[in-house]
Amino acid sequence: MRILLVEDDVQMGPTLQNALSQAGYAVDLSVDGIDAEALGDIEPYDLIVLDLGLPKRSGMEVLQNWRSRDNHVPVVILTARGSWEEKVQGFKAGADDYVAKPFQTEELLARISAVLKRSSGISGGPLQVAGLQLDEDAQSVQLSNGTQFTLTGTEFRLLRYFMLHPGQVISKSRLTEHVYEYDSDRDSNVIEVYVNRLRQKVGTDLIQTRRGQGYIFGSA
Amino acid sequence: MISLKRRLSLGLTFTLSLLILLQWALITLVIERVTETQLLERLESESEGLLASIEIYPDGSFDLNSLRLSSLYQRPFSGHYFVVCTEQSCKQSRSLWDESINIEQLPSGRKLQSSMVGPNDERLFTLHRGYFKQDHSLTIMVAQNISELHEDIFQFQMLYSLVSAIGLALLLFIQWLIVGKALQPLQNIQKQLSRLRKGETAKIDAQGPAEIQPMIEELNRLLNTMTRKTQRSRAALGNLAHALKTRLTLLNQTAEHASLKNLPEIQASLNQVSRDMGQVIERELKRARLLGSPMPGQKVELEHEIAELSRTLQLLYREKSPIIDWEIEPGLLFFGDREDLLEMLGNLLENACKWCRKRVYISVYQNQNCCFVVEDDGIGCVESELSQLVQRGFRADESVPGSGLGLAIVADIVESYSGEMLFSRSSMGGLKVEVRLPLII
Repeated sequence: MRILLVEDDVQMGPTLQNALSQAGYAVDLSVDGIDAEALGDIEPYDLIVLDLGLPKRSGMEVLQNWRSRDNHVPVVILTARGSWEEKVQGFKAGADDYVAKPFQTEELLARISAVLKRSSGISGGPLQVAGLQLDEDAQSVQLSNGTQFTLTGTEFRLLRYFMLHPGQVISKSRLTEHVYEYDSDRDSNVIEVYVNRLRQKVGTDLIQTRRGQGYIFGSA
Repeated sequence: MISLKRRLSLGLTFTLSLLILLQWALITLVIERVTETQLLERLESESEGLLASIEIYPDGSFDLNSLRLSSLYQRPFSGHYFVVCTEQSCKQSRSLWDESINIEQLPSGRKLQSSMVGPNDERLFTLHRGYFKQDHSLTIMVAQNISELHEDIFQFQMLYSLVSAIGLALLLFIQWLIVGKALQPLQNIQKQLSRLRKGETAKIDAQGPAEIQPMIEELNRLLNTMTRKTQRSRAALGNLAHALKTRLTLLNQTAEHASLKNLPEIQASLNQVSRDMGQVIERELKRARLLGSPMPGQKVELEHEIAELSRTLQLLYREKSPIIDWEIEPGLLFFGDREDLLEMLGNLLENACKWCRKRVYISVYQNQNCCFVVEDDGIGCVESELSQLVQRGFRADESVPGSGLGLAIVADIVESYSGEMLFSRSSMGGLKVEVRLPLII
């Protein structure tokens, strides 16, 4: 899952980016409103964490601009004001959730995970698809027969993306886009390697290859 | 407070009435005096004429040369009479007919004017005069009936009074118009002020007369300054909150640092400190930005705001998707600060959404107060806990996440509006919170 983090505080931005990466998200960081607006329109993010108090262009305006251009990427607002007026305004502008500062990282992660599930049409609770149960905190997977595997960072990212999009044909380039950060070295051959490793853990049948198109997870 | 219009009208009415009255009195007096003087002059010349026509014989008897007498003295009861007397005898005009008037002798050179009742009850104005002619002293009295003259004067006075009264009424009406016209700008300003109070406008647009205009400008300037100050202090508070809360979030993240993983007590105490600080900041900043009595220039459309709040809450509590119903007395407007209202209703509604099973009900109505009632169908609260609800950080149920700040913030807002907040059990089962804010007219 690829996330755009928009936070102007020089200390908090990188710290939060780090925390989100550790939680298995590919995170791009943007520090001002104009840059963030452009990135949000260009890159296929799965979710955007948007601080409202931004330099150059306010977060509220950025959000309104996205929505006016039919960019419906899920947005979680971060704000320090926490007034009801702002909450009302934020949801009216098209936000999906709202986290008031000061927050703890786990609270933000829980909200992000909930919004991602909701936008994939999956009900709340632990992520369970095709007999697999993903533990997002421990980054491990439990099979239907009860065996449990810990996953490496990239394996976890891949599996979560598959599980949030079951039954869809997903191309290698789409996987790359949603699993890696903007400035990382993207080699689609590496994806093949990781998919194969994942197959060894969760079973080869669950992730099928469609020649020339990509992969499909779960029942086709 | 005495009205300016009333005062001006009273003053003008009094002076105008006095002026008209004085003029009326003067004119009346002058007319009477002039008439009397003219009458006297005429009678004097009559008297002189009579004197000239008198012929006195050496024996003391006398005669009047009737040819030189005016015919007015020949016709009976013509209203013009005379009596001439010497020491021995008297003669009177034929016009007196069978009436007789006795006169006393006057020494030569004396004049006496008087009025008396003559024949047929005529009012006579008389002039007695003593002469000395051909060694004989004689007295001539001439009289004229002034009944008709008096009648004329009376008629003139009546007419004049009527004209004066009409004139006065007209003048009063005109001055009333002038006063009204002169005070028109004040009435406009009054209207603007009431619109300002109701929040329909942000400043006074009316142009006043030169005497009032500086006051209007000063008032507008004050309003402007007040608005700017409020905005500035709110912005400053917002910035402060932003900076502090961002730092607190950093503190949280520091506490989560990998090197502290093995020291859960330290992590917990760091988290606790940051949570406490967060709450203090939240409550104190919200308290600081409360306006207390509402500023003029604000009007809140309740229906719209409540609808927006409900939509937001339904999004916040998507999993539960509570049904929020509301009933608002038609035409009711809340004259206060919009942000205060949102903060108050937001916290009350969030509380209700948090505790309800499925339904939340809010009603707003107006009696002497503006009343907001928020109810839910949850499990409610036991009697003993009702009074503790507004204490800072008090949480009736520790298992449900929340800071316990919501109701305390509502209590602050209610207090700043000098209102009251009551808790009771709702007929729907849950908690019923009733907020009464005094209406500011």
